[in-house]
Amino acid sequence: MNATREVTAGEQTNRAGESPEVETQPTEVTDETSVTEEGTELERSIGLVGGLSIGVGTMIGAGIFVFPGLAAGQAGPAAAGSFAIGAVVALLVALPTSELATAMPKSGGGYYFVSRALGALPGAVVGLSIWLGLVFATAFYLVGFGNYAAAVLAEAGVPVGGGVVVPLGLVSGVLLTALNLVGTENAAKLQNYVVGLLLTILVFFLGYGGLDALGVFGRATTPEEFLPFGPLPMFTTAALVFTSYLGFAQVATVAGDIKQPGRNLPLAMVGSVVLVGFLYVATILVATSAFASGTLAEFGETAIVEVARALGDGPGAIAILVAGLLATLSSANASVLSTSRALFAVSKDAIVPKRASRMNLRYGTPHVALALGAGPVLVLVALGRVEVLAEVASFLHLVMYGLMCVALVAMRRDEPEWYDPDFRVPAYRLVAGLGAVASFGLLAFMQTTSQAIGLAIMVVTAGWYRYYANDITLKGVL
Amino acid sequence: MADGPWDGDLSIREPPKVLIPVRILEGQTLPASLVTFLVPSEVVILGYHVLPEQTPTEQASMQYEERARDAVDDIVDVFHEAGREVETRVVFTHDRDQTVERVATEVGATAVLLPNPTGEISDVLVALRGVVDTDRLADLVATLLGAGTGRVTVWGLAGDGPFDAEAAVADARATMVERGLSADRIEAETTPSERPVADIVARTNEFDVVVMGEGEQGLLSVLLGDDAERVAEGAVAPVLVVREPPAEQA
Repeated sequence: MNATREVTAGEQTNRAGESPEVETQPTEVTDETSVTEEGTELERSIGLVGGLSIGVGTMIGAGIFVFPGLAAGQAGPAAAGSFAIGAVVALLVALPTSELATAMPKSGGGYYFVSRALGALPGAVVGLSIWLGLVFATAFYLVGFGNYAAAVLAEAGVPVGGGVVVPLGLVSGVLLTALNLVGTENAAKLQNYVVGLLLTILVFFLGYGGLDALGVFGRATTPEEFLPFGPLPMFTTAALVFTSYLGFAQVATVAGDIKQPGRNLPLAMVGSVVLVGFLYVATILVATSAFASGTLAEFGETAIVEVARALGDGPGAIAILVAGLLATLSSANASVLSTSRALFAVSKDAIVPKRASRMNLRYGTPHVALALGAGPVLVLVALGRVEVLAEVASFLHLVMYGLMCVALVAMRRDEPEWYDPDFRVPAYRLVAGLGAVASFGLLAFMQTTSQAIGLAIMVVTAGWYRYYANDITLKGVL
Repeated sequence: MADGPWDGDLSIREPPKVLIPVRILEGQTLPASLVTFLVPSEVVILGYHVLPEQTPTEQASMQYEERARDAVDDIVDVFHEAGREVETRVVFTHDRDQTVERVATEVGATAVLLPNPTGEISDVLVALRGVVDTDRLADLVATLLGAGTGRVTVWGLAGDGPFDAEAAVADARATMVERGLSADRIEAETTPSERPVADIVARTNEFDVVVMGEGEQGLLSVLLGDDAERVAEGAVAPVLVVREPPAEQA
């Protein structure tokens, strides 16, 4: 179309001779469809509830069902503060992400924004490391699921030890991948019901627990100093528990399928962070008023079950165990899907071989990408190191979040013609600046092992780009 | 607007436009006799492919867009040879019903075809078991059958509800005659029916095409699908579903 275009990404090739699938004019986006250059329509079929359910369903697992024990052990009752900090950071990132997503409502999410605003190298690093980040997150959720499944068995009187956690995680990982491979048509709707049921159980539990903490039922609660270890652990713990907010950006990865993207994307992203943040803080307050934080730490990853048992005896414990199973499974499932979408986004731009995003016509599913994600997930589950898994996933997501904030500033400073978001962040420099500083800042609070693994992954991905796709530039292209 | 053989007929109030949704990547085809039958009306081909929600539509279009467009072009050629220019749409979707409904509204389709295999078309069943837009129905049937020798059976299915099947059949018959279909080609009958969908399905082997209205959206249709879809599933003949006109014109 435009002979004087500086960027002709469509002509650049990677090592295999493949070029990015770029367009010469903006995709026509309506509330109901996107239209490709050839005039083919891509139907948008996910509404606001569906978007919220993706965000909430991905996030809600860990903060309630895995972290309360670990977090209270590190920060005491101030773990509630850690979760609040996490929510604020997530919001500071969710706002810029919303703007970028309404300007570019396509699948790809963070990778797409960063590669277009900052260039192919940062894009490739983000795209590939977010894929690995999701692999780590999936493994983490699966181990969490194993823990809950083991607890359910124990509750049912089956004598199992801690040794079944990893095998259960592995089995569920294989089953989830298989389920997604054969394309269960109503998986997404099922996910909506699972999330709905979960929220119902949680609201009951937290409502009852909250009244109990206020002394309504006349039981003595455990008075404890809010900051038993000083303020610093509150921040380091925020870095650990930030994993439980990884999910709102997943909404952006399905942006191409969301109805009325200009309205629903920001609402789904911000709404799910606010809702989930509120539930997390309430959970910690309830948990730390039921038990001393030292006791919670001893309970470990299933601390919330003991809290439920203290509040509602056997039935309480069973209800929360069921909720935990549903939650970790829905988070794991959502992450399995996101890994395949993340791989599609980079392979579309020829950063990895295009074969990686091949689709299976019979089942309609991206079988190569699903299989490529499943392998490393199972290896990580077998290692079973929950805290490291969580932190590496957080590390890689935080890098992407920080860069998305930078991408927003870059886009706004030098707005390309096609940049026309429906939602604009107010005081964008301040919001995006704080978002970037907070995201990068949290990296400093992580364990050295996690930082080292995270950095190593980024270096390797940058190396891959230099080796495989060095000629490809993506800055400013569509 | 293409000049079909019947577009100039003054007795036709609103030229019928038939939307034909085709599962384009699954090798679904239109029987040649059906194409011949539909040529007198305006036609929109909707080639669609349904994906599970975990697959982005963009990903599918990247790989299969050309194949889908080629397959739609093949159908267009068949109509072209029969002397009918058609409009086309190609859609990748997660939700077939949403897509059909949206496209039908956008193109102003007066009827939607639910394809089934069929042979030479000479006997058409018009099944009335609830309120339907008689003008659109008559326009469609008169346009499709007008030039040929095919026969119509207007069949009212009287249930327990307030729907007056006898009156509806008489009205439909009169309107078809008004639109130029000779009265001796129309048969009219009414029977009581407890289970209209099952009764219609049971009679489809006597006919080559079924024409019916959308039916009401009740709890049952949410669980089991529209009446028309259930008929199409059980029937041995294709089903033409007459759409209600948009609310502001009603």
